[in-house]
Amino acid sequence: MGLLDYYKQFEGVPEEEVNRELREQAAERRRKALARVTTIDLSQTTWPELPHANIVNALTFTARAGLQRYPHLRGSRLRSELTERHNVPEGRLIVGNGAAQLLSAAARALMEPGQELLTSWPSYPLFPIMARRAHGRAVPVGENDTPLVDALLAATPQHNTRVVALASPNDPTGELLSTAELKRLLEGLPDGVGVLLDEALVDFADAQPVDASIELLERHPHLLVFRSFSKAWGLAGLRVGYAIGGPGSEELLAELEPDLGVSELSQSGALEALRSGAKPRERHVQSVCEERVRLTAALRERGFEVTDSQANFLWAAHPRVDGAELATRLERSGVLVAAGAGLGEPRHVRIALRDAAATNRVLAAVDKALA
Amino acid sequence: MRSDPSDTGGLFVGRRPGTAPVHYRALPERGGEGRQRMDRRLADVMLAGMTLCSISCWGPIPIACLWAGAQINYLSGSVSLGILTSFVGLFALLFGALKIMRSLDEAWILVRRAAGIDQRGGVLGRVFAITAAVCAGAFAIWFVLFNGTGSMVTPGGGV
Repeated sequence: MGLLDYYKQFEGVPEEEVNRELREQAAERRRKALARVTTIDLSQTTWPELPHANIVNALTFTARAGLQRYPHLRGSRLRSELTERHNVPEGRLIVGNGAAQLLSAAARALMEPGQELLTSWPSYPLFPIMARRAHGRAVPVGENDTPLVDALLAATPQHNTRVVALASPNDPTGELLSTAELKRLLEGLPDGVGVLLDEALVDFADAQPVDASIELLERHPHLLVFRSFSKAWGLAGLRVGYAIGGPGSEELLAELEPDLGVSELSQSGALEALRSGAKPRERHVQSVCEERVRLTAALRERGFEVTDSQANFLWAAHPRVDGAELATRLERSGVLVAAGAGLGEPRHVRIALRDAAATNRVLAAVDKALA
Repeated sequence: MRSDPSDTGGLFVGRRPGTAPVHYRALPERGGEGRQRMDRRLADVMLAGMTLCSISCWGPIPIACLWAGAQINYLSGSVSLGILTSFVGLFALLFGALKIMRSLDEAWILVRRAAGIDQRGGVLGRVFAITAAVCAGAFAIWFVLFNGTGSMVTPGGGV
């Protein structure tokens, strides 16, 4: 190295040049970040956003106030708030560890070994499991084109039916059982057959009032309605659900309650959700309703069979592409959907609904998958 | 005094302005201990050169230009030409000296870095200011005490 070169190596890069390089590096990072397509998971029916800050604050407050005590066994404050909302007497509403726990407990309380549980199929996968746990048997109904209520009424006397379990809106098809149809079913079923109506997804329905089925309870005491904080309220991790019964159901409902109550944390989170989480819930329910109409129409234009969903997902099948194959192709474009094979119908896929951006991603991925 | 660059005093989000380290195009290969010692001496010599050059701006260069102007005036008999010569010479020499000092200052930074010192800026401004102050003081003392009108030491003037 020459003498001048030796000293020249100590020359600093001018500030303008350093700044220009830093700006170029930042722009490159931004370009890469914008170009990166993250996978969007539309295989789950839970809401993807974090709970409202007030709910987290309520949980923290409860945790700091002391978890050394046992919780309120009958979920007192949460229960009072819910009974007031649904305008039912306090003894006819119970809070449990999610709607699933209450549904299972109801099946166990109602069914004797050997008795049967009728349900539509495909439907909530818990229904056959809870029949088995109650030492009974699940009978799928409505697999052909017969209207569901007619199929159920026809099948009931043919089996040793004790329970009819239905989800409305149904998971995974998203179909809503209208109040008129439910009333027809309740009136047509013989005495001694209980109806367990899982309305975990009813908050997403806009075809009829949300509490329409609860109004039937007064005249149909063999109906039990189950609701959840896991879906529209976005609190699946808290495991809180509740059941409402008609007149005379108090003793049965008391049997369904968790032995040592629902955790104090879960109760406080659910209570805070009722008090301050209504607006975010309304916002994302509205988003789901708008995108449901848009995505249904767009998929039908592309040749899909799509059921009339009232839930936060669509149940769709393409005549040329199998459900599992379609799910794989969509996954290649970064869109995860639930293949129908695991939900009872291999031709279909279940696509959860979110916002306009998610719908655009789905449609772009579908176009690519069918190209 | 340079403060700890990481200590922003809470005023700035990142580094305190003006405390960024020197960015080199490639990591310099510094010489051994002896070479660094020699570079330190060389930097001192360059600083002395800059100081002399700066001092010349406040005395020798103006005097030389005035002398040259007086010679032109004497030879040509033209006062204007003498004044013009003085001014042109003064500006040319002053700007020439400043350019030399600037180059010396840039070289001085590199030599100081080669000597293992974290030298971030030059010293020209300070040299120029200090020599200006010293020379102005010296001139004031000379003018008032030794040569000015009504000198206290030599009343009646030094003419």
